[in-house]
Amino acid sequence: MTSPGEGLPGAGPIPWATAWRLARRGLSARFKGLRLLLVCLFLGVGALAAIGTLTGSIERELAARGRAILGGDLELEVWQRDLTAAERAALDALGTVSIGTRLQAMASAGDLAAPVQLKAVDGRWPLVGQLRLQDGQLAGAPPAGTAWMSEGAMERLGLRVGDSFTLGTAKLRAGGIIADEPDRLGEGFAWGPPVIVGAQMPGAAGLIAPGSQYRTRARVSFREPYNPEAAATALKARFPSAGFSVRTRDKAAPGTERFVTRMGEFLVLVGLAALVIAGIGIGLGVSSWLESRRGAIATLKVLGATSRDIARITVLEVGAAALVGSVAGLLAGVLVTPLLARALGGLLPVAEGFVIDGTALLRAGAYGLLVALVFTALPLARARAFPAMALMRARVSELRLEWRYALLPAAAGLALIAALALATAAQPVVTAWFLAGAVGVLALLGLLGRALQYGLARLPSPHRPLLRAALANLHRPGNQTGALVTALGFGLSAFVLLAAVQSSLDANIAGRVPARAPDFFVLDIPRERADQFVAAVRQTAPAARVRTVPNLRGAILAYGPPGRMVRVAELKEQPAGAWALRGERGLTYAADLPEGNVLTAGTWWTTGYSGPPLVSVDVNLAEALGLRLGDRISVSLLGVERTANIASLRRIDWDSLGFNYVLVFSPNAIADAPHNLAATIDLPAGSSTGGLLRRLVRAFPSSSVVETGAVLRDARALLDQMSLAILAAASVAVLAGLAVLLGAVAAARAARTYDTVILRVLGAGRAQVLLVQVFEYAVLGAILAAVALPLGSAIGWAIIVKLFEFEWLPDWGTILAVLAAGLALVLGFALTASLPVLRARPARVLREL
Amino acid sequence: MRVTSPIIAARGLTLILGQTEILKGIDLEVGAGETLALLGPSGSGKSSLMAVLSGLDRATGGELSVAGENFPALDEDALARARRGRIGIVLQAFHLLPTMTARENVATPLELAGVPRAWDRAAQELTAVGLGHRLDHYPAQLSGGEQQRVAIARALAPRPALLFADEPTGNLDAATGAQIIDLLFRRRLADAVPSGSVTTLLIITHDPDLAARCSRVVTLGDGRIVSDVWT
Repeated sequence: MTSPGEGLPGAGPIPWATAWRLARRGLSARFKGLRLLLVCLFLGVGALAAIGTLTGSIERELAARGRAILGGDLELEVWQRDLTAAERAALDALGTVSIGTRLQAMASAGDLAAPVQLKAVDGRWPLVGQLRLQDGQLAGAPPAGTAWMSEGAMERLGLRVGDSFTLGTAKLRAGGIIADEPDRLGEGFAWGPPVIVGAQMPGAAGLIAPGSQYRTRARVSFREPYNPEAAATALKARFPSAGFSVRTRDKAAPGTERFVTRMGEFLVLVGLAALVIAGIGIGLGVSSWLESRRGAIATLKVLGATSRDIARITVLEVGAAALVGSVAGLLAGVLVTPLLARALGGLLPVAEGFVIDGTALLRAGAYGLLVALVFTALPLARARAFPAMALMRARVSELRLEWRYALLPAAAGLALIAALALATAAQPVVTAWFLAGAVGVLALLGLLGRALQYGLARLPSPHRPLLRAALANLHRPGNQTGALVTALGFGLSAFVLLAAVQSSLDANIAGRVPARAPDFFVLDIPRERADQFVAAVRQTAPAARVRTVPNLRGAILAYGPPGRMVRVAELKEQPAGAWALRGERGLTYAADLPEGNVLTAGTWWTTGYSGPPLVSVDVNLAEALGLRLGDRISVSLLGVERTANIASLRRIDWDSLGFNYVLVFSPNAIADAPHNLAATIDLPAGSSTGGLLRRLVRAFPSSSVVETGAVLRDARALLDQMSLAILAAASVAVLAGLAVLLGAVAAARAARTYDTVILRVLGAGRAQVLLVQVFEYAVLGAILAAVALPLGSAIGWAIIVKLFEFEWLPDWGTILAVLAAGLALVLGFALTASLPVLRARPARVLREL
Repeated sequence: MRVTSPIIAARGLTLILGQTEILKGIDLEVGAGETLALLGPSGSGKSSLMAVLSGLDRATGGELSVAGENFPALDEDALARARRGRIGIVLQAFHLLPTMTARENVATPLELAGVPRAWDRAAQELTAVGLGHRLDHYPAQLSGGEQQRVAIARALAPRPALLFADEPTGNLDAATGAQIIDLLFRRRLADAVPSGSVTTLLIITHDPDLAARCSRVVTLGDGRIVSDVWT
């Protein structure tokens, strides 16, 4: 007995070359019918390519320009002191050395005063690159009595080039405006815009005195090709108690690098979520394209094509379209990157012109094709089953769901997407949570879509025929309600989420933080003038609450039980949560337990205690380091190592936003070290801050006064920039959702045209037919709003309350306005896309039916 | 009349779709090289019988051998392979592939069957049906009659042993229809099929004149053969 097909001509599937020839003929040059797939892939892949290219470009620039960003091969920083002769000699042995200082200072001109980041540089600065002024002049350190000013400093002080201003006790001339400062990014964060002066200026202006909060920074340009890491290790080993912070050209801006990597990763995940929405459109587009190809597929089967042949042909057709869409997306991603770089406004370094980042493009392309694979597997598997009989019999039985052919590629695609996301993640756990969350939200939306169709089908039919027709459109066979609820629900939820998070953060910053934060922070108040300082404040604001604390800086060098202390420099990896081990920290001493702190273990020292030095440690740090009462901590203070026994553990109320110190010493432990005071000033509600600021700047020229309001404005500006980036990525999700909507409208157009024509033959006017569409999309919009509002708000609540630990203070007006705008966009698109249906001429359509 | 060496041998064929019995036990033998007209009122089962005989549909019951193949034993893909190069089908609505030119349409079955020089063969076939000047035209650029000529060229290009035509002139005016029928009868005789015989033609029609041109007329009624007349 012969088995089926045995001995027949061409028993195997057609060769791929033949399949490609037939596929090429099946594709129109303009990819008619597959445009939804093209648009969705274009959007998703384009967004991912742009994000990846931009992030990669910044990271590479940070790495490539490490030497310029750092201002040398190696940088050594110490707080509150100059380098010793031995330290200086050790650096000189490595190469050319440039030494300068950094400190917060107050600048004033007339009635205007502003905190500035003072950068004092010697004649060798900059060791790498050149400082360019706005007038085109290339410069080094400014001449005596002159300062190079940032544009921000000029604005805040109301200066023009050539004008004078005061810094400390010195009068300076604004000699030029900085256009390009080579090591700006490596300078790190500071309150206030930068001002560059000569190396001697801070000392001469009384800004540097023993105990002042200044940093000495020494940069070295190696004479020989030393390994920077090895040189850094050797320096730390040679001066173990010096409390050096050493950076090398390989990690010139570690904080920025970490921020860019994490932000980039987050945006990639948002883009990936958008691509998944696009995936729904891809599936929908391919399904409706295959529906329109039923006749052609049946004809091929009549001519002898088997289901495997059909699978090969359709896979090649869809694959070609997916490739074109993805490549177009990649191109767009590359083209748009310079615009995004410009939008960053020089905040971060991005290579000029077009950047081709192979890894980022490959990853974006791979995501696009994998999403296309996942979402087209089922429709393509169904296409195998299109019967040849479709040509001979109008109505054919319902197609089988070909899960067995779809399951393997779809599952493989999903697994590869997850693997790719996790393998390229800097934070795999966060990525895993994000992926799980996205899958959960999509599943929830999918279920909601199904439930809605089920529920609508079982609602009693309304008596009004137009409303009845509108509702029927949402649950009739072949409806797209499920896909639309998922795709648009996801996009609109993202909008609600962003509005909720942003308005909550704004409200926290605008309302809650100022309510708890002091109005001013003041640094570097000379210890001996503490009483004068309080008196000066009280003279202007009698009801002001002033709190002063001794303020020193030092790095933790060692910790642990006596005799078994761990040296921080020898740690291979920092314990989780032990951020206080990183670099120098503020240190203080106190006779009494600081306000807002609660003892959790041990006892506070008695007034006038004079025994062995004691320290009280933040309970969280103690837990992270495994510290107990009686253990020891060594810190470097002005280059000298000091050790104290742990007498107590404290819980700190970090939300109080005042001065909070991880380590508080007994006065006899560190009070002898030269130091200044820091202060917080709380003014009664509604007080004006201008008068006090001017008085303090005049009376305490060497102190820095930071106004909280200005700081919060800076913080909000930063937040706005981040929100903009997230909004841009999330907009891709909404665009993809709109593409899905247009695709759904297009897919249902044949059925809609038929309905419309029949309604019009029966006497309905165009306005009435339009009303059906309006009803339908209004119901859909109401459903989407009902889905997006709680879902977006719930995720927003989790982010604000659980992640940021802020108060949930959403501005419902803004959220509803954003949602309404999104819905208006959806309705507008839907109705516009439906207009061709209204324009259909009944006689012509009926002839063609 | 008993047919010797039949190319189609059907015994007790039934076809049930849902609750409806479409074919109710068809016994039919068709000899190689015959021309057979299938007549009958709408709903009598003509198209369904043709679908079963051409392997587009599978009978619910009965025996069927077509061109030496035991059709009930073949699955859908094996039936598709069985059609390749052996069975041509011409339908009333032409069913040309709209995204392909006339030449590509005709080349497709040849390529599926792995016939060498399919491209040249397609051009020859189209020239033979009078469309040598329309090779690169798309179906939408052709008249109804021209489209049906392409469909005939496509069906006959692989030299099939069997050609099924379902009301091939149903969508055409009388004059064009007559030309198409002439072409159909002429082209089936043009080349000997591999078995050495000419192409067997089974044609569904409502047209008594067309039926009269066939060597045999089988009439269906309510899923059964009600008459089988040799002319």
